[in-house]
Amino acid sequence: MSGFGKIWERIQRGRPPVGQTPGDVVFRENKWSLVRYRPKATPSGLPVLLVPSLINRNYVLDLLPGRSFVEYLVEAGHDVFMIDWGTPGPEDRYLGFETYVERYLGRAVRQTAKLAGAEKVHLLGYCLGGTLTTLYAAQHPEHIASMVALAAPIRFHDSGLLSIWTRTKNFDVGALVEAFGNVPSQLLQASFQLLKPTLNLSKLVSLIERSEDDDFLDAFFATETWGYDNVPFPGGAYRRYVEELYRGDALIRGEFFLSGRPVRLESIHFPTLAVTFEHDHIVPTASASILLERISSVAKQHLHLQGGHVGAVVAKKARATLWSKVSEFYRQHDERPPKRRSPKKPVAEA
Amino acid sequence: MVQSSKLCCTAGGGLVMNGWDTYKQGFDAWEKATAQLLETWLKSPLVLEPAGTLLTSVMKVKTASDKAAAVWWGAMGLPTKRDQERTLHALNELESRLLDLEEKLDAKTRS
Repeated sequence: MSGFGKIWERIQRGRPPVGQTPGDVVFRENKWSLVRYRPKATPSGLPVLLVPSLINRNYVLDLLPGRSFVEYLVEAGHDVFMIDWGTPGPEDRYLGFETYVERYLGRAVRQTAKLAGAEKVHLLGYCLGGTLTTLYAAQHPEHIASMVALAAPIRFHDSGLLSIWTRTKNFDVGALVEAFGNVPSQLLQASFQLLKPTLNLSKLVSLIERSEDDDFLDAFFATETWGYDNVPFPGGAYRRYVEELYRGDALIRGEFFLSGRPVRLESIHFPTLAVTFEHDHIVPTASASILLERISSVAKQHLHLQGGHVGAVVAKKARATLWSKVSEFYRQHDERPPKRRSPKKPVAEA
Repeated sequence: MVQSSKLCCTAGGGLVMNGWDTYKQGFDAWEKATAQLLETWLKSPLVLEPAGTLLTSVMKVKTASDKAAAVWWGAMGLPTKRDQERTLHALNELESRLLDLEEKLDAKTRS
């Protein structure tokens, strides 16, 4: 079959089989749910909780069989949980960082520990999910054994386009939130497209060039499916995200408050790994790696990898460059095995 | 015959490949230059400030028209979109509080 024939065949096939690692929904609240992946053997060590970004679907961490970080962790014998933030409804326009961090993420951490029969969990936050885990970890370090901040923005004042756009004086974030409630996914998608306006054309040329390569086509269609499957940003959280984090750079200045308490990065004392990517045009390296300069942890590592914000996480080579390193990091910091496994039945199949 | 046809295809394929390589090199150069130029524009206050003003104005018009529709809707004694959002939000809050209590109770039972 010719290259164009293969492309056409994939278009006709419809949605690629993303998020295939078997798992069960073990907890639900409002729109979010907690998924526990079925272990292939009895898992060892502390449970791992994966926290994706609020505005992207979580299956980027479980893209396709063979290209799945979740699948890798399960095969490596970890007890893996992941948050699915779901799709916020119009009524969720009032949800802010307090709800997402203190209530939902806090509950996810406690449920993960409870279900795995452990006192503490290993956390991993990806992109904005990394910012959320950092906020939570600074306020409630007692439940956390270690943390991986995967391309997580911490310093928001940088030379990147997102930082410059959000600091534009004439852009009234309040007017946007008042008009829409939740910021529409189309608007977020358009702004991501504008970060690299020629990217789609480059992708098209790459698609034609590598159209004979089945493996490339599988990854291409799965990644594009994910890339266009955004969810709205809850209005209350978006307002603080832009006004305080981007404009005020409040997190790094110690001026970001949750439930009236300032978030102090120095409160983080457990082992922490910050992962950055060389060609990340969404979260520049300096914006993410500064976390390690501000926390009090003795065991802290910086892993800087080639690749972009998404590509470096879903590529097959990530098995050697990223996934194995994260698994190794967790193994180094497993304090002790879980006491028991909860017999609680799952709410539903994921 | 087969051999010559293969050679012909290889030669044709080679030509196609050379053509594609030349195109790709040209495209890459164009893409790099265009991306740099667009990035300069998209960072410029001359573009960003009018765009910010336009976006804000459009949002304010939308808010005003939504409010006008809500007033009309409310005058008919019907719940507005915002009323429904607040009610659903309150129900979700209630669910969360119940889960908080359940967690506390569970912790007490275990201790």
